[in-house]
Amino acid sequence: MKDRYQNRIELLQGTLDLLILQTLRWGPQHGYGISRAIQSQSGDILQVDTGSLYPALHRLERKKWIKAEWTISENKQRVRVYRLTPKGRRQLTDERSRWEQLSGAIAGILDSVRGEFES
Amino acid sequence: MKWPWQKRDEELDEEIRAHLDIAAREREERGESASKARAAARREFGNVGLVKETTGEIWGWASLERLWQDVRYGLRMMRSSPGFTAVAVLTVALGIGATTAVFSVVNAVLLRPLPFPAPNQLVALWVTEGAPGTYPLTGADYLDWRTQNQTFKDMAVFSFQESYNASGAGEPERAAVVETQANFFSVLGVQPIMGRTFLPGEDQTGRNHVALLSYGFWQRDFGGEQEVLKKSLNLNGEHYDVVGVMPSWYKGPGGADLWVPMDVSAKNLGPRGEHHLQALGRIKAGMTVQQAQADLKAVSARLAKQYPDSNSKESAVVVPLQEQFVWRSRTQLWVMFGAVTLVLLIACVNVANLLLARSVGRTREIAMRTALGAGRSRVIRQLLTENVLLSACGALPGIGLAYLCVAWLRTAQGIPLSQPNPIAVDPAVLLFALGLAVGSGILFGLMPALQTSRTSLSEVLNSGGRMAVTTTSRGRLVRNALVTVEIALSLVLLAGAGLLMRTFSNLRNLDLGVRADKVLTASVALPGGQYATIEAQNAFWRQLVEKLAAAPRVNGAAVAGELPPRGGSNGYVTIEGRTSDSTANQLVEFDPVTPDYFRTMGIPLMSGRTLSEEDEEAAAAVAAKFMALYQASGALKASGTKFELAAVINQTMARTFWPNQDAVGKTFAISEGMITNHVVGVVGDTQCADLGRGPLPQAYFGLALALGPNPPPLNVAVLGTGKPAALAGMLRSTVQSLDNSLAVFDVATLPEIISSSMTTTTYQTFLLGIFAGLALLLASVGIYGVLSYLVTQRTNEIGIRMALGAGRGNVLWMILRQGLAVTGAGIGVGVAGAYALTGLLRTLLYGVKPTDPVTFVAVSVVMVAVAMFACVVPVWRATRVDPMVALRYE
Repeated sequence: MKDRYQNRIELLQGTLDLLILQTLRWGPQHGYGISRAIQSQSGDILQVDTGSLYPALHRLERKKWIKAEWTISENKQRVRVYRLTPKGRRQLTDERSRWEQLSGAIAGILDSVRGEFES
Repeated sequence: MKWPWQKRDEELDEEIRAHLDIAAREREERGESASKARAAARREFGNVGLVKETTGEIWGWASLERLWQDVRYGLRMMRSSPGFTAVAVLTVALGIGATTAVFSVVNAVLLRPLPFPAPNQLVALWVTEGAPGTYPLTGADYLDWRTQNQTFKDMAVFSFQESYNASGAGEPERAAVVETQANFFSVLGVQPIMGRTFLPGEDQTGRNHVALLSYGFWQRDFGGEQEVLKKSLNLNGEHYDVVGVMPSWYKGPGGADLWVPMDVSAKNLGPRGEHHLQALGRIKAGMTVQQAQADLKAVSARLAKQYPDSNSKESAVVVPLQEQFVWRSRTQLWVMFGAVTLVLLIACVNVANLLLARSVGRTREIAMRTALGAGRSRVIRQLLTENVLLSACGALPGIGLAYLCVAWLRTAQGIPLSQPNPIAVDPAVLLFALGLAVGSGILFGLMPALQTSRTSLSEVLNSGGRMAVTTTSRGRLVRNALVTVEIALSLVLLAGAGLLMRTFSNLRNLDLGVRADKVLTASVALPGGQYATIEAQNAFWRQLVEKLAAAPRVNGAAVAGELPPRGGSNGYVTIEGRTSDSTANQLVEFDPVTPDYFRTMGIPLMSGRTLSEEDEEAAAAVAAKFMALYQASGALKASGTKFELAAVINQTMARTFWPNQDAVGKTFAISEGMITNHVVGVVGDTQCADLGRGPLPQAYFGLALALGPNPPPLNVAVLGTGKPAALAGMLRSTVQSLDNSLAVFDVATLPEIISSSMTTTTYQTFLLGIFAGLALLLASVGIYGVLSYLVTQRTNEIGIRMALGAGRGNVLWMILRQGLAVTGAGIGVGVAGAYALTGLLRTLLYGVKPTDPVTFVAVSVVMVAVAMFACVVPVWRATRVDPMVALRYE
């Protein structure tokens, strides 16, 4: 437990939105499910803080990128699940390409730095 | 009912609950015990409240939700202290109600545009002369203005209100009639509610026997009958067809019971030099008032060259119609509005004081809130919400009060306001009241809120509540300052009211120059159709005076064109040999009278003699010739005929025109030099124009000079031996024994005439008196509050002092001194404020300076007396403190 907290990475502003949208690509999911999915898919490195998750979900809902509805889960639990809207799907494509540009740019800087250190 | 944010709130709750449930179940599935799993899930989730709040904020409901919380809390607080709430709400209701009522008048009269299409294009037209002031137009000049101007779309001329004998469906009565040019209502752009207005060409003799009814006359005389357009009226013995009914809101320009077309032929409108017409115009779109003014000035200048005898001193004045309506009432309305705003301020200060007193009791509650995490701004917001709520609760009955006041204003008679917009609580007024409610809530709430929220946490919680009794001296200082402000504001109002009261009594006790407590006056008008000649008219008045004088319990009777204190016609006089000097521009009041007028009215003869029967006969002969000449040619001057008559003048005229000489035997000419008057006597001055304008030069002629083709109503004065009101029946029957078709109207004793000409001052004094009284009441409540609080606060100390041997006198003085200090400071500030502000009243005052020391001292004494009275109960309570009880206090 302790390790995980130490390894925890602060998510950049807007990155959480991207992760949520990406997670919802595989189908509707409730808040807890989304946080579990992000956590497991990142190999337990990314721990989503509920204090950020729920505001983010409601923010995306307000922007109509995702849609919320009440359903009954397998365990007969009434849950609020979120579903990607067509608008959200378009947004995801945009965000992804932006993210790739950003990470590519950062990777480029880091590679050149590594080059300097290694020479 | 659920608010949108409540639904969302519940959903969020459920969503989070589901999250926790699922997390716990997963842990259980991994083998954790149920209770451990729940606790871990919770721990992992973090602060549920915080998550809820930050998520809720995404939807932007949070601030509304907090407001709703505060409102609910505020309502609970109000219910929990009904006494405080009642006093505060009542105070606010009075303040807001009075302010809103006055504002509805200000709004109708000063702020709202006139209810006519393109009101900015409408102007009133007047003439200036050598003497200061503006004057009505002459017919000939008007016709020239209308044809020669370049800037007006159209102009319309109309008469001053005249009194006609009218009989329609009901009894014969006196109706106020205004004659208008046919285009008058189309220039204004006012439509009738029934029928039509006048048609072009109806302002010519032969076609002008049509009448428009005011809404009031239609209701009163025709009972609001729908078929009225098929009816007719009898006006001064002649038949008129009803062609339309005007809307009820239409009160002017040219407001009247009835309108009839004016014959606008040059002959009927009268010669140059005879100023008797009103006019209004509509400026062409895109032109300004200044351009219109310059245009008419140029036209007047041409006319002055063309007709130097009559027009050399004349020019044109163009006044925006809105200005025409408000100039008389602007000062008094803003003064009243200022005064009532002061009352509202005092009310706010009072509520602030009440809140401060209560806030001491709430210190612990606020400290508790702070301890639980409420920020200072949150606490202030909550307190302010409570206060705005309080003032909103006051605003509701306040608006009700304003409605009542406005309803009363609309029905009350003789209110000296003439405005075309109805006085009403309209959306603008409601918005104003709402603004007042919020504004005053913040105003009286901010100080206590700041004060309360400044509370130091640990101090209060540690003191276990005793803080309430030993609050900081700062709180006391604030409260004292508030009461000082209250007293100062009240003193300003008192000073204003005091000055108006002195004005009122000065006017009331004004020497009119007549001794007429036993005189009854009335008006009688002879219809020109029936009494077509000067001889017939003169014969009637002579008979009437003879019959009245011979009646029992009557000592004398007279007829006059004008009676003090009302003026009427005036003009310039020329004195042979003098071409231009200071008297050339001096207007003289003209009053045609029967010989016994001076004795009947008790106007003293100073030198020479009064008018005789022979003078009267000579005047009648001249008037008859005058009328014959006029009817023959329409132009008098051209005939070159000269007449000579006798005249009596007053002392002011003698002093003005013949200083240090005996005026008897001198001559002066009127009517452009056609009539030379020999001064046969000088009489005492009377107040012959507006009350308080001082005596003006005045000349008296034989009554016949008032007679003519359309004779105005004349005034009958009867000097009785007893109470004048008892003569009314006799007066009426005597008039009707001579001609039973004549109505006797405006029957009044002289004191009644004086009070009716003082209506404006009476209302001003009455209103400002009420406002000052309210202020005084509120201020004394304030003083009482501060002192009783002081006594409560210092009971312990008083007990100790008494135990140590202080006498009741010492204690009394200790408390009284506080009251005196606050009152003294308030009076000091108030006198300074009044000194600076009463100058605004200058034009409303008569016979008293705005900084009259007597008034200032008097109102200060009143203030001290009221303050002392407010001190009585708290001081008495202080002296009754029992040391034993006081020491056990707490």
